[in-house]
Amino acid sequence: MSNAEQILAALGGADNIIEIEPCITRLRAEVEDPGLVDEPGLKAAGAHGVIRSGSAIQVVVGPEADTIASDIEDLM
Amino acid sequence: MSATGERPEGPAVTALTVLAPVAGRAMPLAEVPDPVFSAALVGPGVAVDPPRDKPAIAVSPVAGKIVKLHPHAYVVQTADGAGVLVHLGIDTVQLAGEGFELIAAEGAEVVAGEKIVGWDPAAVEAGGRSPVCPVVALDTSADALSDLRDSGELAAGDPLFTWSR
Repeated sequence: MSNAEQILAALGGADNIIEIEPCITRLRAEVEDPGLVDEPGLKAAGAHGVIRSGSAIQVVVGPEADTIASDIEDLM
Repeated sequence: MSATGERPEGPAVTALTVLAPVAGRAMPLAEVPDPVFSAALVGPGVAVDPPRDKPAIAVSPVAGKIVKLHPHAYVVQTADGAGVLVHLGIDTVQLAGEGFELIAAEGAEVVAGEKIVGWDPAAVEAGGRSPVCPVVALDTSADALSDLRDSGELAAGDPLFTWSR
């Protein structure tokens, strides 16, 4: 699986994602069910860290965030 | 202001001087009101809290190529691959570029101190966001940085820290 595929799966899949957008170093996702977010899975996919605040999930991936976000959007 | 301290350099180590991209009060990255930057999740560095009295121009912290350029943040990478991230304010991605004026272009080669983005820290603050600017050394650890200026007033272009590579 590509990084984008792994991250998408660890966020609970396309159906769980309401919105995803890149900042310069992180993906900001709004999810349906935060319980489906697999933090170890995100880290295994290369995330430096995961910040959770309710349904808002920030996945810190470094400056490639915009590339990864557009790859994820292509998969959704 | 104290005089510049000793700068010990080991053999075969390149010391990259990273400049303040904006003027303002230097502060430890740990005090930035954002959990990603304060925990150094993208890398170690220093933050600068800019004055609110007038619009400002953010400059390049190092000589290199602008590998990422968003209105509110940019990364300049040196020829040997050292990437420095400058983030203009916290949560400013939400402004979708409003209030930021790009002066340089992504992919451009710049010298240290070259103008990159015009912005207004007071307007960012008026919108309910912190205009504090994290300056982060990407893909490295805290022990690679020295001479950190994390207190006192700085001018844009003043040395902010040294990155041993």
